Amino acid sequence: MGTITFENVSKTFSGQSEVRALDGINLAIGEGEFVALLGPSGCGKSTLLNLLAGFEKTTEGILLFDGKTVTRPGPDRGVVFQEAALFPWLNVWQNVIFGPQVQGVARADYESRARNLLKLVGLESFADALPVQLSGGMRQRVGIARVLAMSPKALLMDEPFGALDAQTRLSMQQLLLDVWQSLGTTVLFVTHDIDEAILLSDRICVMSARPGRIIRTIPITMPRPRSIASLTSAEFVAYKARIMSDMKVGAASH
Amino acid sequence: MSISTGPIASRQESSVSRLASSILSSVARRNLRQILLAIVLPVVVIALWQWEGNGGSLFGGVLPTPDRVWHAWKVWAFGASGLSLNPYSGTWLANLLFSAERVGKGFLLAIVVAVPVGLAIGWNRIASGSLDPTVQLLRPIPITAWLPFSIAVFGIRDMGAVFLIALGAFYPIVVNSAQGARDIERNLVRAAMMMGAGRWTILRRVVLPASLPSIFTGLRIGLGIAWTAVIVAEMVAVKSGLGYVLWDAYYVGRMDVVIADMATIGLLGLISDRVILLIEQWVLAWRRLQSFHS
Repeated sequence: MGTITFENVSKTFSGQSEVRALDGINLAIGEGEFVALLGPSGCGKSTLLNLLAGFEKTTEGILLFDGKTVTRPGPDRGVVFQEAALFPWLNVWQNVIFGPQVQGVARADYESRARNLLKLVGLESFADALPVQLSGGMRQRVGIARVLAMSPKALLMDEPFGALDAQTRLSMQQLLLDVWQSLGTTVLFVTHDIDEAILLSDRICVMSARPGRIIRTIPITMPRPRSIASLTSAEFVAYKARIMSDMKVGAASH
Repeated sequence: MSISTGPIASRQESSVSRLASSILSSVARRNLRQILLAIVLPVVVIALWQWEGNGGSLFGGVLPTPDRVWHAWKVWAFGASGLSLNPYSGTWLANLLFSAERVGKGFLLAIVVAVPVGLAIGWNRIASGSLDPTVQLLRPIPITAWLPFSIAVFGIRDMGAVFLIALGAFYPIVVNSAQGARDIERNLVRAAMMMGAGRWTILRRVVLPASLPSIFTGLRIGLGIAWTAVIVAEMVAVKSGLGYVLWDAYYVGRMDVVIADMATIGLLGLISDRVILLIEQWVLAWRRLQSFHS
């Protein structure tokens, strides 16, 4: 459940000039694993996530989710977007139940679950608020809750906290750690923030740009459960020093 | 909406009523000053017109003064006391209703056809390729050029007027609906697809609401054209309504009725535009909040 396989996947965007966004990506993610894609902007990490989400088609290679070729988006792969992408005309509650509703799930089967999710992300008293009335962090909480409402096998998160201020970002990271530790869903997490990648993931794939490649894979074996307190541990700092030098290597070789 | 239940629904209603009352109170606060500001120019123009007309020199005495127009309007609206040979006496409301009914029918017909066609053009490449060129080809033909066609096909009957109104209102609604569907934020569609929505669900629950601001722009332009179309149609293609009275009164030299008729058309256009605006504010309450906050 929730296994992901990239075999020699490449993606070329055709247009006035062809852009090779991804080149020879090999990546296998096991059930319940938390993998971060780390790299500078323009390195193709979002493209990689969009391929897995089914928003874009691979140019070459094999891309499997749970052993089946990815052909289109679906509720088994819940995507959390950077700007939340909530429907501005629906209130928080309506946004959260959108997934189960359009899939034809009976109200009795999603209602209590959706309420619990709202509680989980701390928004039970904002059920009737419109997205525009929420802060960026709260909007992102809704974005997470609406995805969890579909019980996805994997969460695909595209720099979900990238637009938030530092403090909100920390509390969102803590929330995600808590949620993931209790649900154990496979997560593919795109970020350009080294701290965030170390704190959250089991494994970091460092990417380089033009063409987008995975240049290094670093397992993070810091004990779990983690919390934002781990950000100051000696182990964390050691990982950070290593990744920073890795990323410089990546930049120097191109 | 029928989606939520229990406490959510009641909270939602209260937020809607809060919004409604806040709109009303802000309207009330601004109302007096706005009305005063708004009527300065018309009052000055009418006063100058009256003063100039009393000297008897206004455009060689062709135009009646405002007081004579007002009198003609009253007779047209309520009839004259005593014996009268005035053919317009007391027919104002009936003619107004004839015109309004035609505008209503034609405008509704335009909405029913133009919104789905526009959304399809903006949303679907095949619909866009097969429909848009024809729409763009027909669009430059003014509704006045359709008059002979309309009379030939529908005769001197209501249907001809309704056809012209619907046709005139169709273009701005279709163009703006298509624009709204085309400009939809990509991630909203992706989010819906990711949550398992099929093409029809996305069209109905994402593309339509996201396009509503644009659709309403089209409705307001379309309604303006509908009023133009009804007058043109009634002057030529039917024997009742404000447009018919306008032309008829001109022929018999009743410029006072002509001007009263023009003012009636202006007022009706204004009122119907305000009605659309109110509906828009109600339907797009989420957008109102958006502009408050940003």
